[in-house]
Amino acid sequence: MESIDLELEEGELELPAEPMHLNMGPSHPAMHGTVRMVLELTGETIVKADVQIGYLHRGFEKMCERGTWAQVFPYADRLNYVSPMLNNVGYALAVEKLCGLAVPERCQWYRMMLGELARISDHLTCTGAMAMELGAFTPFLWFVKAREMVWDILEEETGARLTHSFGRIGGMAAPPTAGFKEMVQLALPRILAIVEEGEKMLLKNRIFIDRLEGVGVISGADALSLSWTGPCLRASGVAYDVRKAHPYLKYDEVDFDVPIGKAGDNMDRFLVRLIEIRQSIRILLQSSDRMADDGPVNCDDPRYVLPDKHAVYTTIEATIQHFKLIMEGHKIPQGEVYSYTEGGNGELGFYLVSDGSGTPYRVRIRPPCFSIVGGLQYMLPGSMLADIVPTFGSLNMIGGECDH
Amino acid sequence: MPTFKLDGKEIPFEAGDTIIRAAWRQGIEIPHYCWHPGLSVAANCRMCLVEILPPPNQRAMMLDILEWDAAKNDYVPVKKPKLQPACQMSAVENMEVLSDSSKNVEGARHAVQEFLLLNHPVDCPICDQAGECKLQDYWLDHMKSQKRRTEEPVHKPKAEVFGPTIVYDAERCVMCTRCVRFMAEVAKDPVLDMRQRGNLNEIFVSPGRELDGKYTMMVDHVCPVGALTTTDFRFKARVWFLKTAASVCQGCATGCNAHLDYDPRFNKAYRYRPRDNADVNKFWMCDDGMLSYKRAHDGRVTEPAVQGGRTVSTASAFEAAKKLLEGAPSGSLAVVFSAQHSLEDNWALRELAGILGATRSYWSGLAEGYADDILMNKDKNPNTLGVKKLKEDAQPFAKLAADVASGAVTHAIALGGATPGDATSDADALRPLKLVTIAAHDGALVRAAGVVLPAASWAEASGSYVNAKGTRQLSEKALEPLGSSRPAWFQLAQLAQVLGHKPTWGKVDTTPGRLPARAALAEIRTHLTGAGNPSHPDAKAADAT
Repeated sequence: MESIDLELEEGELELPAEPMHLNMGPSHPAMHGTVRMVLELTGETIVKADVQIGYLHRGFEKMCERGTWAQVFPYADRLNYVSPMLNNVGYALAVEKLCGLAVPERCQWYRMMLGELARISDHLTCTGAMAMELGAFTPFLWFVKAREMVWDILEEETGARLTHSFGRIGGMAAPPTAGFKEMVQLALPRILAIVEEGEKMLLKNRIFIDRLEGVGVISGADALSLSWTGPCLRASGVAYDVRKAHPYLKYDEVDFDVPIGKAGDNMDRFLVRLIEIRQSIRILLQSSDRMADDGPVNCDDPRYVLPDKHAVYTTIEATIQHFKLIMEGHKIPQGEVYSYTEGGNGELGFYLVSDGSGTPYRVRIRPPCFSIVGGLQYMLPGSMLADIVPTFGSLNMIGGECDH
Repeated sequence: MPTFKLDGKEIPFEAGDTIIRAAWRQGIEIPHYCWHPGLSVAANCRMCLVEILPPPNQRAMMLDILEWDAAKNDYVPVKKPKLQPACQMSAVENMEVLSDSSKNVEGARHAVQEFLLLNHPVDCPICDQAGECKLQDYWLDHMKSQKRRTEEPVHKPKAEVFGPTIVYDAERCVMCTRCVRFMAEVAKDPVLDMRQRGNLNEIFVSPGRELDGKYTMMVDHVCPVGALTTTDFRFKARVWFLKTAASVCQGCATGCNAHLDYDPRFNKAYRYRPRDNADVNKFWMCDDGMLSYKRAHDGRVTEPAVQGGRTVSTASAFEAAKKLLEGAPSGSLAVVFSAQHSLEDNWALRELAGILGATRSYWSGLAEGYADDILMNKDKNPNTLGVKKLKEDAQPFAKLAADVASGAVTHAIALGGATPGDATSDADALRPLKLVTIAAHDGALVRAAGVVLPAASWAEASGSYVNAKGTRQLSEKALEPLGSSRPAWFQLAQLAQVLGHKPTWGKVDTTPGRLPARAALAEIRTHLTGAGNPSHPDAKAADAT
């Protein structure tokens, strides 16, 4: 029997000219989060990409307006849930800026160390997951093994692996544990070794390199005009890091470099994150030397800081203090503030308005990956369908903070 | 008006004003426990101490004191100006007073607060005052630290029963004597006093007496701390869960202004607190009035019923009402106004009477009762004057009973259940009547009715009431209507609709099940207040609507 298309030359084969529509997500194993893309394809080439977010929207900002100022911390945990400590500290700094409150030095170092640990965990997750989505499962498992070491430390410090709710207005929930510095100093070399090993696996792999290099390119100027920040902006060659540009805590007292990329492609974003892990380790080691072993962690202002629990049960003064702060909430002075820190994905901003009552009048977040995801629709057209996976993965969209 | 300076701010005052009173009139609070605007001055708590600068060319009176110097680890002699209690110092023209701006005053407040907390028990978690306690507020405002004393505090009697309404906790007491002064000066029954001295000081009831009478619950409300609590509110609710509505007491024709505290989660009223109004009740309320918040839940009519009290659906109740009133000769159709219901409700009934052509009008309400020259009025209805002005030719209830007996009235639409007499015998007198009653509370008119439509109580709908002085006052809505009840003016609009007429208060949406719109209420109010309306009550106070 004869095949019907036997006589046709390949070049004569007529394909329909209509672009093909393809839905990717919101639930798709290769999507780096719950997000939907409506794609227009000719063949395998993307003509148009409509990125639709909002699948993790839970009204975080509105929820904050019905509790007390301190009750925002658990919500802040669930913003960028891969580095919740950075959100905790970011929110605490915003409220403290509104109050004109400065936490003791020991607390500043402690916040920095916990924050950098969270950043390492954030970057490990992003780069590991990116490799996994491209089929490299082993590096992911290795990176997660390293992340476990970070989380073990955070669990020891805060009692929770992921949603710590550890920040407080005017301090932290608890002082550093006795073994904190030792744990950090022991874990860092091992984390570094794992990162280097994983890197070797990936950066000598032709398939991996081909899928990253020259893909998902964005220029520094475009990234800036999209108000990108963080590792994604730095990969495009703009050396903007809140920790350097507008130092907070003790970032102006430690040595670290801000790595930048040249091409602004997936490979640069991948490498910038890996280098930033090393910079975080540098910051951690310096902070570990500088942080005092004893001294107060919390401010000494009863308007903002909870009293010692034993005193609450035994003295009327502490009972009153506890009662006022818990039942009525912190009376944050009237006013508004915008405070910003370097989160895992870039500039994490909080805009707060206080009417002087115990409840926030307005809490608005500037999540770094919101504007970054906004740039995706400009990066994808022209590339192949399969390029979505590494490109989207390298942007590190986190639904928890993006959808607000 | 002469003025003096308080922290650099000009404060006007009247002759005889003290510093604290003049500031209070301007809305500036000088911290205090024992001072109360409605009571005499005791000046014993020392919280209101202020620094008064000496007149020009005079020296300030200075005191030699010892102050702790942490650097030297010893007491050092220093001089401090003598502070004065703002509650007792008369204001003098051009006097310069320092309150919040003086370091010395700050220190004094800290010291007084520390002193008052010396023997205070760790009671906030079990204290009803927590959340509205001056000790808590002032600690955070003026002390902010632990007391220096570490010894076991002095223990004193707790949960001492003072009388049927009040329980006393001596450990929480700051000995401000506001309760003592209230009983002596306002209630005119000096049954409370202080005994012992120093840290054994306590309030006690005269031997052989208990704290009883008509004005006992006020001592809980004048108490700035949790020492005096009422048996009624004790352990019932935590105040930070309560919301409050500006209400008007329904207990008598005085119309005391009150805060109705309720918990929106359970749609339940918990207490009345007096609301200051210099023209009506000053700062006070009587016990009967304060307990009358219970009428938001007790003795209520919440479901529609037909003859014999059988509960039916709203739709069938209106059907039954239509059947009952259909073909009623307008000459023998009567409307009965209620001194227990608001002006809005009564206005709607008057309009309905006009539509239906009912010529006979009566009014009803509770009988007269106990009266005194402090607050309690013998008229136990909140709106008698309002009803009388709204419908000047309305006849009293006795006339209605007589006209029913003579057969002159055969059909009636009544507002409110209350009648002056005994509910059973009054109901029997009305039996021959074909009666539709719209009421919030049970009574003879409800029991005798062929159809009962449930009305929202004063707590569930905002309404205006005219008190015995002719002051019209607005009582705000607190709760959501219980059961199937709706505001009476709304039920009346629906009744008009069912009887085939269009209600004149046109913005009422009478769709079954629909909640009444605010717009309709606003429209009714324009009729109540509108100029050129000859029958609108002569409202003395500013129109609160």
